[in-house]
Amino acid sequence: MLDQAARDALVAAVGADNVISDPVGLRSYECDGLTGFRQVPALVVLPRDTESVAAAVRVCHRHSVPFVARGAGTGLSGGAMPVADGVVISLQRLRRVLDVDPVDRRAVLQPGVTNLDITKAAAPHGLYYAPDPSSQQVCTIGGNVAENSGGAHCLKYGFTTNHVLAMTVVLPDGEVVTLGGDSGEQLGPDLRGVFLGSEGTLGIACEITVRLLRVPETVRTLLADFPSVPAAGEVVSDIVAAGIVPAAVEMMDNLAIQAAEKAVGAGYTLDTPAALVVELDGPEAECGEQFEQVKAICERHGCTRLHVAGDAGERARIWKGRKAAFAAVGRISPDYIVQDGVVPRTRLAEVLDRIARMGDAAGLRVANVFHAGDGNLHPLVLFDADAGELERAEELSKDIAELCVELGGSLSGEHGIGTDKACSMPRMFGVDDLAVMDRVRSAFDPDRLCNPGKLLPTPRLCGERPGVYRPHPLEEAGVIERL
Amino acid sequence: MTTTSPVVLSPTDLRSAHEALADTSGPVRISGAGTAADWAGAPGTAPTVLDTTRLTGVLAYNPADLTVEVRAGTPLVRLQEELAGHGQRLAFDAARAGRGATLGGLFATADSGPLALGYGSLRDLVIGATVVLADGTVARTGGHVIKNVAGYDLSKLLHGSYGAFALVTDLVLRLHPVPAAERTVRLECPLDTAAGRAATVLASALEPVALEWSDGELLARLEGTPDGTRARARQLAELIGGAVLTEDDAATAWARHADLVARPAPRDAVVRIGCRPSRLPRFLRGEGATGGLGTGVGTVRVPPAEVADVHDAVAAEGGTSVLRQRPAGPLRAWGRAPSAVRVLTALKRELDPEARLGRGRFETWFGGADSGG
Ligand SMILES: Cc1cc2nc3c(=O)[nH]c(=O)nc-3n(C[C@H](O)[C@H](O)[C@H](O)COP(=O)(O)OP(=O)(O)OC[C@H]3O[C@@H](n4cnc5c(N)ncnc54)[C@H](O)[C@@H]3O)c2cc1C
Repeated sequence: MLDQAARDALVAAVGADNVISDPVGLRSYECDGLTGFRQVPALVVLPRDTESVAAAVRVCHRHSVPFVARGAGTGLSGGAMPVADGVVISLQRLRRVLDVDPVDRRAVLQPGVTNLDITKAAAPHGLYYAPDPSSQQVCTIGGNVAENSGGAHCLKYGFTTNHVLAMTVVLPDGEVVTLGGDSGEQLGPDLRGVFLGSEGTLGIACEITVRLLRVPETVRTLLADFPSVPAAGEVVSDIVAAGIVPAAVEMMDNLAIQAAEKAVGAGYTLDTPAALVVELDGPEAECGEQFEQVKAICERHGCTRLHVAGDAGERARIWKGRKAAFAAVGRISPDYIVQDGVVPRTRLAEVLDRIARMGDAAGLRVANVFHAGDGNLHPLVLFDADAGELERAEELSKDIAELCVELGGSLSGEHGIGTDKACSMPRMFGVDDLAVMDRVRSAFDPDRLCNPGKLLPTPRLCGERPGVYRPHPLEEAGVIERL
Repeated sequence: MTTTSPVVLSPTDLRSAHEALADTSGPVRISGAGTAADWAGAPGTAPTVLDTTRLTGVLAYNPADLTVEVRAGTPLVRLQEELAGHGQRLAFDAARAGRGATLGGLFATADSGPLALGYGSLRDLVIGATVVLADGTVARTGGHVIKNVAGYDLSKLLHGSYGAFALVTDLVLRLHPVPAAERTVRLECPLDTAAGRAATVLASALEPVALEWSDGELLARLEGTPDGTRARARQLAELIGGAVLTEDDAATAWARHADLVARPAPRDAVVRIGCRPSRLPRFLRGEGATGGLGTGVGTVRVPPAEVADVHDAVAAEGGTSVLRQRPAGPLRAWGRAPSAVRVLTALKRELDPEARLGRGRFETWFGGADSGG
């Protein structure tokens, strides 16, 4: 129970206007984008400045109240799910762009600024913010920092961690510190980098300084159909082998294409087994030269249709289909689970084949949309909850993520571990690896008040004996070893 | 004070690296090729030196995935040679690589070179690591895929840790293709002119991967296709009033830049500076200064007596500074302690509670408990 003294102190810390305590209001914070996990918080506070965030955290620390930071709540791993009897610290009222500096090409943001608003603020200077999660219209830079979010263009430009220079962070005891600096140089170890992707467990990011890039001179986009998924996969490999680093390479299989086309009519071919969206950007001359090379590679692999976006409108339409794919799957299935895993790019065909077989065995359909350039899969497991398929779907989805680890990849490329995959962590990491992560957490948050129960497996969540570590494939091959 | 010479342990693989720490006690100094031996705080004396130079070789190279796992004692130049055979490279060019610096050393000192403008530093290029803690615990972080957000990225904690947090035994690196062509444009000019022209270049669509002040000249490097770089180099030269260099002249100009950074006269103190790019030029005065006008990272030489002034001036502008050559006597190594020094201290206690590793490197940050001597 959150006792009255703590409640009063929290109200004093942020002001009565910035507190939600009524049951209906509280319920709207019970989950994030992963709606299967729910927990109504005891209280929600919505501070209006960094100092009030720190004040609220200090109260939580003093009263031993667990707290969870929350941005837009679009997270897909249950990271922002509240903790029982805990407080949610929503950053939604911290939405100011504090500075845009066109000379040193950077912006300073409050944590509740949406990803897209950064680019909007930078646009008048011919600049933009590169990481572009599909949720960019709503997700916040604070959430992006916590999840180290990616996007379609991360293949060339990198992830959130490659674009954040510095952060003002409220530590779990309320102390306010700066991580990172004005350049890539650091004073000692890169704590900035440790915080990035820590899923809200090491503190609350409050003022975030990001790099802005100059808008590229040219962008070229094509949509190409292929007779099979492996053929499309070979195109990706050949593009890479040619020394080309595309801005984005996205692949969709037939089921995903059908769903997307039904939803937004982006001009995709309904019966093609696979399609690729390839985008190149950069200086005009070079971009054009490499684009011709990419087209030739597509032709060589039996491309059945190649459509080049003629203008910005057409490009937007191609991307709309791709970005709408998740939600669109709702049109071909009553329910679905979005999975996120990574395999080395060279194992794409193999993983897709295995996923198809696992789907068949489970009697469930799986649609695939993925960032093919970096091997990041988003299998969508389709099911009908009313037909009692939920459990089977969850099992299949979990098995797919663990399959990625088995193939030398990762449990997550961008959605994070959160509540969802904490119990799968022992599949990817050994006992000592996890213990060291836990020691790092202790250094930041010895009292375990900051988003507890997320990211690392706990007996409460996973049972006394969480899934056993399976040797990494490179260990089995004798390439790496564990002592 | 008399000192007995330390015991040198030279592990060759993870097992012997683990044993080197698990089976010993007391302070340990981790040493690679020794190219940054007097960077940052002066290392305290240690009865044991853990030499990484036999911890070498590629463990797994997947050209089609553009990733490589390599033992941390491998010299960067050796790795680059191997990668070049596949038309690939680590897009990283710290000046001291030419002196035989190891990957682990370059990583632990958070070093970087001109290419950081285009590709970032090792903190951006390392995607996985295996480390051994002071008590011998072996831990792995990250993995073999570029995109990976599972768990904390512990490799970041080792980047810039100067051997004070753990021994890095292997690194997994993200690679890039060797560009089909590269060209350099040079303008010999005073620093103020260079700063102005650099700003013009950065505001253009020419996308240089390196843009450096190099003691009397501005150098801009472009990478891409043969035709594309030719066209861009011409535009760039026109834009700044400089000249496109021949391949040989470009190689000479960049080699000179690397020598300015990595082979200073022994009498000088060297300070590495990081700040907002627009503020860097004010610190690049003096002979032999170099600096990235897009990255805000520079290296200056000063008489030892002026080191403290440089530190203070940079700190006053919100920048970072660290000593990179200590000619004689005690000199302040760091411009200031980081704001989160308390977290660093807590991490140090968690990971190396007996303060065995890297004594002295961070001066008094950890409450002096490991200040060495
Ligand atoms: C349709 C859809 C598409 C998506 N596409 C992508 C995609 O392409 N790429 C991608 O990477 N992700 C994607 N996501 C996932 C999600 O949008 C990202 O993880 C995003 O970064 C979450 O931001 P948020 O503001 O919604 O954070 P929330 O969901 O509110 O929180 C996420 C985590 O961050 C923590 N947190 C929030 N703010 C802070 C702060 N200021 N300081 C510290 N911790 C904080 C929370 O505690 C929680 O653990 C998608 C989600 C949806 C619903």
